[in-house]
Amino acid sequence: MSTSTAVDRDRTPAYDWLTPSPREQIGWDVDVLYGPWPRHHRDVTLAEVRRRLDRSPVCGALALSTRGPLFDDRAGNEETLRDLADCPELLPVGTVDVRDAMTAEDRLDELAAAGVRFLRLFTVEQAADPGFPGYRRVVGLALERGMVLLHDGDPRRYGPALMDRGADVVFLDLHAYLLADFLLMAREEPGFRVTTRMLSGPDSVERVVHSVGARHLVFGSRTPFMDISPATLRLRYADISDDERDAVATGNIEELLS
Amino acid sequence: MPIIDVHAHVGRWQFHLTCGDADDNLRLMDRYGIDLQLVSASEAVVYDAVAGNAALAKELASRPRLHGYAVVNPNRIEESAADLRRCLDSGRFVGAKIHTHYPGRLPGSREMAEAFDVVAEAGVPLLLHTWGREVLQLPEMVASRPGLRVIMGHAGGDAWREAAHAAASCEGLYLEHCRTAADAGRVAYAREAGVPVERMLFGTDATLIDPCWSLGVLRDAGFTPAELDRVLWRNAADLFGLQVAS
Repeated sequence: MSTSTAVDRDRTPAYDWLTPSPREQIGWDVDVLYGPWPRHHRDVTLAEVRRRLDRSPVCGALALSTRGPLFDDRAGNEETLRDLADCPELLPVGTVDVRDAMTAEDRLDELAAAGVRFLRLFTVEQAADPGFPGYRRVVGLALERGMVLLHDGDPRRYGPALMDRGADVVFLDLHAYLLADFLLMAREEPGFRVTTRMLSGPDSVERVVHSVGARHLVFGSRTPFMDISPATLRLRYADISDDERDAVATGNIEELLS
Repeated sequence: MPIIDVHAHVGRWQFHLTCGDADDNLRLMDRYGIDLQLVSASEAVVYDAVAGNAALAKELASRPRLHGYAVVNPNRIEESAADLRRCLDSGRFVGAKIHTHYPGRLPGSREMAEAFDVVAEAGVPLLLHTWGREVLQLPEMVASRPGLRVIMGHAGGDAWREAAHAAASCEGLYLEHCRTAADAGRVAYAREAGVPVERMLFGTDATLIDPCWSLGVLRDAGFTPAELDRVLWRNAADLFGLQVAS
C-alpha cells in the first residue's frame, strides 16, 4: 500500500540535536565504570572510557574498576585508587561486596583513609535483598561514616530500608516508569537523589525538578555500557531553569564533595 | 533531510508521565524536526485493540503528519483481521502493530503465527514489540511468509545481540532501537553482525519516551551523513511507500 504525504517544510528544521550544546555540559557523571565485565560483548579499558568521555559533554566523573564488584572488593578499590591517581577528571568510588560483609569495616576504613566519599553498591550483581544481614551491615557502617551511597537496584525495594536514617543516597537504576514511587520517598528524604540515566519520559526530568526540587536529581550515564547522548539531550531540552539544569549537571555533586 | 519516526504511540500510559493526545506527539515532533510519525493507540496496545484503533482513526483524520498502525491482538484473531482490513481501507493506516507483553503471546505460539498470517495477507509492514530471546524464532516465521516485512521494535530489548543476528539472517527483518536503557554499541554490533544500514529504522516510542532519547542513540552511533539519511527517513519511506519533501 502506498501513501503520499506532502510535508509542510515551513517549520524550522531542528537538527540541533546532532551537535552537543553548552546546555548539555555535565560537570559530574556519577555512574562510570571501566574494566572487564563477562556479560558484555567486549571489555572497555580505562583509556577507552576516558576517550569516550573526552568526546562527550561530560567533564568529570565518579568512577571505579569493575574488579571490586565482580571479583575482589579490596583489590578493586586499590586498583581504582591507583589507576585514577593520574586521571584528574575522574574521582575514585569505592565498593564493598555485600556477600562478605564480615570484612566491610576494614574495607570502609581503607576507603575513608584514602579520602573516598562515595560507596557504590552492587546489590543486583551480588543478589542482596534489603533485609539481608550483610546488606544491612554494610549500609549501617557506611552511613555511620557519612558516606554517600551510589545504589543500584529498584528504589522501591531499597528505599524504604534507607528512610529515616539521614542517608545521602543516589539511586542509579530508577526507570521512568517507577518515578512516582521515588517522588513519594523524596518528599520525606532530602538526601535521596536519582540519576537521569533512565528518565526517558517527555517530562520525567521536569516532574522531579518541579515536584521535589532539582537537588534530588544528578547526572549518571553508566559509561561505557550505555550511550551518553540520550540523557544529555534530555537534560538540554528539559523545561527547567538554567540554575536547575546546572544543579543537576554539576552543583548537586559539588555540594556532596564539599 | 526529513525524519520519519516508525515507532510511536498516541494516548495515555499508566505511569507518572505526560503522554496525552495526538497534539503532544506533534509538539514533540516539531521540537526535534520529525516530519512524519507512525503511531499506534496505547488503548489498543494495552486494553482494547478494536476500540483503540477506532479512536486513533479519529485522531488521524485531522493530522496528516501522523499515520496509523492498526493493533492486532493475537488472542482475537478473527476480530483483529476484520479490524485490520477496516483500518487499512480508511487510507490513514499503513501497517500493523503487535505487542507481546500485553496479550501474553510470543513468537513461537500458535496465536502469534496466526497473527503473522493475517498481517502477511494484508500485505503491510508489521511493527512487532520484541523483547527477549524469542526473536530467534523470527527469521523462520518471516521467511515462511514471502513478502512479510517485520520491524523488530526495540531491537529485541535485552536480547539486542540475538536480534541483530536474527535480522542479519533474514531480509524481511528490520531493526528499530528505541528503548529507555540505551545500551551502548547496539548499532555497531548489528552492523558487524551483518545487518545492512538499509534495514535500520528510526523509532522513538514517543510519547512514552522523549524522541531525543533515540536521537541521542543515533548521534552516538556515528553514522555518516549518507547513512543517517537512510536511517532517519529513506528506509522508512521505501518500506511504507511514504513520500516526504527532502
